[in-house]
Amino acid sequence: MLNFLARRLAQIVPTLFFVSVLIFSLQQLLPGDPALVMAGEERDPAVIEQIRHQYRLDQPVPVQYAYWIKGVLVGDFGESLRNKMPVRELIAQKLPVTLQLGAMAIIIAFLIGIPAGIVAAVKKGTAWDYGANFFALWGISTPNFWLGIMLIFLFSIELGWLPASGYVPLSEDWRASLAATIMPAFVLGNAIAAILMRHTRSAMLQVLESDYVRTARAKGLSERSVILKHAMRNALTPIITLGALELGTLLSGAVLTEQIFSIPGFGKLIVDAVFNRDYAVVQGVVLVTATVYITLNLIADIAYILVNPRLRG
Amino acid sequence: MSPLIEIRDLRIRFHGDDGRITHAVDSVDLSVANGATLGLVGESGCGKSVTSLAIMGLLPKQTTEVTGAIRFDGFDLLKAADQTLRDLRGNRLAMIFQEPMTSLNPSFTIGDQIIETILRHRGGSRKSARERAIDLLRRVHIPSPERRIDEYPHKLSGGMRQRVMIAMALACDPQLLIADEPTTALDVTLQAQILELMRELKAASGAAIILITHDLGVVAEVCDEVAVMYAGEIVERAPVDELFSAPQHPYTVGLLGSIPRLDQRAEQLATIEGMVPNMAQPPAGCRFAARCPFVLEACTRAPPPLVDVSPGHVSRCIRAPLEILVS
Ligand SMILES: Nc1ncnc2c1ncn2[C@@H]1O[C@H](COP(=O)(O)OP(=O)(O)OP(=O)(O)O)[C@@H](O)[C@H]1O
Ligand code: SF4
Ligand SMILES: [Mg+2]
Repeated sequence: MLNFLARRLAQIVPTLFFVSVLIFSLQQLLPGDPALVMAGEERDPAVIEQIRHQYRLDQPVPVQYAYWIKGVLVGDFGESLRNKMPVRELIAQKLPVTLQLGAMAIIIAFLIGIPAGIVAAVKKGTAWDYGANFFALWGISTPNFWLGIMLIFLFSIELGWLPASGYVPLSEDWRASLAATIMPAFVLGNAIAAILMRHTRSAMLQVLESDYVRTARAKGLSERSVILKHAMRNALTPIITLGALELGTLLSGAVLTEQIFSIPGFGKLIVDAVFNRDYAVVQGVVLVTATVYITLNLIADIAYILVNPRLRG
Repeated sequence: MSPLIEIRDLRIRFHGDDGRITHAVDSVDLSVANGATLGLVGESGCGKSVTSLAIMGLLPKQTTEVTGAIRFDGFDLLKAADQTLRDLRGNRLAMIFQEPMTSLNPSFTIGDQIIETILRHRGGSRKSARERAIDLLRRVHIPSPERRIDEYPHKLSGGMRQRVMIAMALACDPQLLIADEPTTALDVTLQAQILELMRELKAASGAAIILITHDLGVVAEVCDEVAVMYAGEIVERAPVDELFSAPQHPYTVGLLGSIPRLDQRAEQLATIEGMVPNMAQPPAGCRFAARCPFVLEACTRAPPPLVDVSPGHVSRCIRAPLEILVS
């Protein structure tokens, strides 16, 4: 276990290095001149040249990279070309918003997907099963923007129960915060719920046929204990990894969802930065996203080992 | 004295997805007295496991139709409420399965799995249940049980897993133990060890045992009575000595073909020419007719009844007794 952890951690370093190089190189391919962006209205060649020199844009790309990565390693991502705010501060402001949204989405996905999958498997071929399958199909095939707009229409405009847009930090007022994020979290989570439901269902069906479930019944255990203890424990092992991997899709889904609900999160930050050619912000945000994604994968692997005695050694 | 378990006219049908019905078991009658051991033998697919699963109430409810009566200690298991059955299973009724490699849950330690059974039926503290579990593991000759109890199944060999399954079945001192080919999946030395164990347990526990096996040597050594199944039916039932010395059904004669002597080490059932009938459409007359060397016209017309050939010895053959034919 410790061995495995050490190996996984050692892998992370080169992965992140590669990602950072990639981000920085792709950046060079984007059209437009950062110096011009920073210059704003100013068109005086001397000023632009001075900006170029100040931000080392006149130096070779590897040198620029070296300066950038040196800053990154101590937590300095440079500053926004637009509003001169440190990128680190922007990230520190926006990341928690998206993390909250993602966490709520994954909780919603697990709370819906896993029970629905278990019920569908246990009651295979009944109305419950068909209902759950219908829900899964719906969840997978409904576009996020359409669902988002429908939810806003129903719960904000028609019923007036939830705010249509905006964000309140959890620490400020948790009720208002939950109210503001529940709809986008559902929009983000429902497709994952559908995927989890399908996998849980098929894993449960397989496990329910297994010899050890028959053994559990032969011991005289209640059906509840047979399903929730003996069957579920084995069926959910692969599902946990799947769920953690789906977290990655959350990050990309957040981009669109945050736009729909005007939530000032990471997704919105990156969209704005790209449109504004705010290179420093784009670099910082993408690198942090990659790091978050890699960390989630690591957590998924560890979780898989923790629930699987054969791997624990 | 009335038998501990008495099966009357047991029929089991599986309803397939495509609407086909498999007659896995037809009009089976069996009984086992307290402390007795019944051997159940027959070719693969003849319905031995299905019969035992019916006794345990472990057949899938949606696709299986079970009729007849299984009286255990006076009441009918087929009519009993689910809760009553659950109270019996693992407690007074226990089964060792044919598949030792896959019958233990990979996510729990063997100790947890045995303790669970004890707590379910006996209650008491976890600590005392654990002590009992260690004791059971020792009884089935698992070395250093104090340490082994905390191991997961994947660390154990097939033979060790089968011992754990046996320990688990014995956890609450069952009155009836069904052992479904407890040795088939294991190699020969392990087979002998597990068999020795079964013999010890038989002597020590006084439980009634239904032992399913392909191994006629095992039957000869362990069983008091033998029932021979063919294509879902009992074709012959007799006290063990009599079955070996004077078999009264051509199928049994065929099975015994390769081991006429009791004093030799176990051998597998002889193979008999021909195919088992398709159980979706069982033949009209004797099910063994297509393979029987003694077949007559009359055999294929109507199913032969089980007839008494001597006290306690029945055969489903219209030509029984067979003495003249065999010699
Ligand atoms: N769940 C099921 N659904 C449909 N058919 C089944 C099911 N279980 C068993 N059968 C069929 O019932 C028949 C009897 O099977 P059973 O497992 O009792 O054989 P067996 O005598 O135990 O054979 P073996 O010696 O190979 O264990 C077989 O034809 C089998 O295909
Ligand atoms: S009834 Fe006829 S076919 Fe069947 S076993 Fe007897 S002799 Fe053979
Ligand atoms: Mg079998």
